[in-house]
Amino acid sequence: MSYINLKDYSDLKLWMFVGAIAILLILRILFHSADSFYFLLANEIIAILSFLILSTYLIGKIRQIKPSSISLVVNIGIINAFVFFVIAFSDYLFNLVFEEITINPNRSEFFKELAHFSYALIFLLIGGYLLIILRELYFLKQQRNVKIYYVLMLVFFLLASVSKSINKDSSLSYLSDPFFVVAVLLMIFNSARISWIAFIEKKEKISLLILSVIILTLFILNLVNSNDQRLHNTILMGFSQSFNHFFYLLQLYGAVYFGFLFFTTLFHIPTAEAYDRKAKEVSSLQYFSKLITQVLDIKELSDTITDIAIKVSSADAAWIVLKENGETTILANKNIAFVDADIINRYLLDSGMCNDLKESMICNLDKYKLKYQLSEKFGSITISPLRSYNQIKGYLIAARKNELIFYEEDKTALNTFSDYASVAMENSLLLEQSIEKERLEKELDVAREIQRKILPASNPVFENLSVSSVFIPAFEVGGDYYDFFEVSENKLGFIIADVSGKGISAAFIMAEIKGIFESLSKLMDSPKEILVKANQILKRTLDKQNFVSALFGIIDQDTDTLSFARAGHCPALLIRDGKIKSFKPSGIGLGLTNSYHFKENLEEYKIILKNNDTVVLYTDGITESKNNNLEDFGDDRFVQLLVSNSDERADAIAQKVISKVTSFSSNHSQYDDITLVILKWNKKNNIVNHGEVPGNDGMEIKNGRIQHLN
Amino acid sequence: MAEFNTSIKEKGDISIINLKGYLDAHTAPILENNFVDLISKDRYQIVVDFKELAYISSAGLGVFMAFIEKIRENKGDIKLAGMNEKVYNIFDLLGFPLLYEIFKSEDEAIKKYQEIK
Repeated sequence: MSYINLKDYSDLKLWMFVGAIAILLILRILFHSADSFYFLLANEIIAILSFLILSTYLIGKIRQIKPSSISLVVNIGIINAFVFFVIAFSDYLFNLVFEEITINPNRSEFFKELAHFSYALIFLLIGGYLLIILRELYFLKQQRNVKIYYVLMLVFFLLASVSKSINKDSSLSYLSDPFFVVAVLLMIFNSARISWIAFIEKKEKISLLILSVIILTLFILNLVNSNDQRLHNTILMGFSQSFNHFFYLLQLYGAVYFGFLFFTTLFHIPTAEAYDRKAKEVSSLQYFSKLITQVLDIKELSDTITDIAIKVSSADAAWIVLKENGETTILANKNIAFVDADIINRYLLDSGMCNDLKESMICNLDKYKLKYQLSEKFGSITISPLRSYNQIKGYLIAARKNELIFYEEDKTALNTFSDYASVAMENSLLLEQSIEKERLEKELDVAREIQRKILPASNPVFENLSVSSVFIPAFEVGGDYYDFFEVSENKLGFIIADVSGKGISAAFIMAEIKGIFESLSKLMDSPKEILVKANQILKRTLDKQNFVSALFGIIDQDTDTLSFARAGHCPALLIRDGKIKSFKPSGIGLGLTNSYHFKENLEEYKIILKNNDTVVLYTDGITESKNNNLEDFGDDRFVQLLVSNSDERADAIAQKVISKVTSFSSNHSQYDDITLVILKWNKKNNIVNHGEVPGNDGMEIKNGRIQHLN
Repeated sequence: MAEFNTSIKEKGDISIINLKGYLDAHTAPILENNFVDLISKDRYQIVVDFKELAYISSAGLGVFMAFIEKIRENKGDIKLAGMNEKVYNIFDLLGFPLLYEIFKSEDEAIKKYQEIK
């Protein structure tokens, strides 16, 4: 709505102007030769009014365009040049035209009048245009409200013009000169207020200097030209004396203004560079605040850093080098190929000259013998350290091409900036780490929860068999698994396993294994068969690099038989009569090899159990527990501990072992899960049907041999 | 945990990877990259020297499993050499001697390759 209103309003002004011009034209035609005071007065008033209406119309138009200071100046230059030529050739042109049409003097007079009117109209337009451009220049970047001085100046322009036009036979003639003097004073006062020069760049200032000289000259030429007895002067005087004076004053103001502009620009040139730098510093301050908001994304942040580095140092290219574990990576290379950045990095970093870099340093590639390998002619380099906690984490490197070199100021700017950049990058990395850490901890929580749910909630209870188990999870979830299955009414199946890998992936494999053995133990009752089948499944489902070590056994309470097979797991230990035996039947870990190979190499042992026999199953978390000196708890300690406590009940033995292991490794973090399962055979009324096998301590072994730990 | 690093030397068609330090889940990617590199260069005759390796975890063992199939498909092999007793026991427990050729020293492993030719 408001836009339409504004448009209507500006259209109205245009129509008012056209109307005023039409009235003026009609007046001229009707009172062609009138010389009355009232006619002249009416003519003057309408001419000035139409000029003012035109000016306000043009102000509205120019506001929509919002031109820059330089384009305003250029426009004035063009108008002046145009005015110069029109004035210079007006005599010649009019003579040329009217010499041709002299057949009918009456008609020629009419055409002459019309031509003069059109000529004046052109100057009316030019005057209006000049007025509003000078006005725009005047108001450009003004800090205070200075409208009053400008309006005052225009008022005195009008007063001076009007008073001069009517002074011929009036008693008011003495007023004309004072008005003129005041107008000129105001011109000078207003021209001295130029405040937009400081805000433009050095390059523009230089072109402005040249432009202002040319325009000043044109203004002066036009002033001189329009003051003498040319046809131009006659025409404009004939049109309206006030306007002629006004136009004259306007040109005078223009001349004064551009005179001032020239000198102001001249005085600003020496400090132009300093201003440019200041402006750059201010804008880089804005960039710094941008850095703070971008710490969430290290990639985006490093892009911004190189962008700003180029701006603050006027470099051609910039990139970041990160040092991590002795390796360097290039980040966010801007305007430079990876290969080139790499060549320059090698020069700067391999020589070791930047190892203890305290602040930015300017280097030169001139002496570098690999310089010719660069695809672009980089010569001058500034390298700035990116530090955190007094350690150099990386470098911000900027480069200039084609013989251009870095100066001390660039170095200082980059030095300041790299400090900010270090902080921002440090924050970003810390944030990333803490997010990653949190994510890992969440993941491990889930993994631990899965593991807890997979492991048996309680140990099975039997009349002849006491079962005890201890499980201590490592922080990272080591993948230990043990479980008990009811194979049939009097047959207890058990498994102890260690999944390769850690964390959530290990937990998922554990879950899979639980499912596999849970179901297989219902279908088969031979440990070897079960493991072969399990391997077949796992070989297919596990990733190549994953595998599971497992020991699966079955205790038949009817026949007092323990049968078991080992797929790459720690041996099973048997304590009988204070002596310990280690059983390590041949077997490859689950998921490592194909069914045939696995089956061929898998042995199954059978042992007839005697009263008080203790079977010990464990994972390497126990024997590989480490103390402060990184010594393993080891097999020896473990075996001796078991033997010396073999008379105890199953849970007491387990507790003893665990307390020893934990106190041994109390100063060292537990790296792997610890699992210990103890099965104690308590068949008091043992009817020994099978008898003792001589020489083998009562142990019957099939397909295998007894291995002694010590 | 502790440090781990590798170095590769080449003897004709045979590439020897020397392991040093602790090979576990955190350091395994370093060795993985070595294998990826060698495979990308069509170098499939590989000897891994364990002489300076102090410890290997299950994730470390997994690295060999990840690449062995691909390497053997290309008529190559990974031969293991120079293990200390502790490292050997870890391999042995899992049945690795049934899956890989394990030699006392790097030279013996290289000799084995050369004999086949």
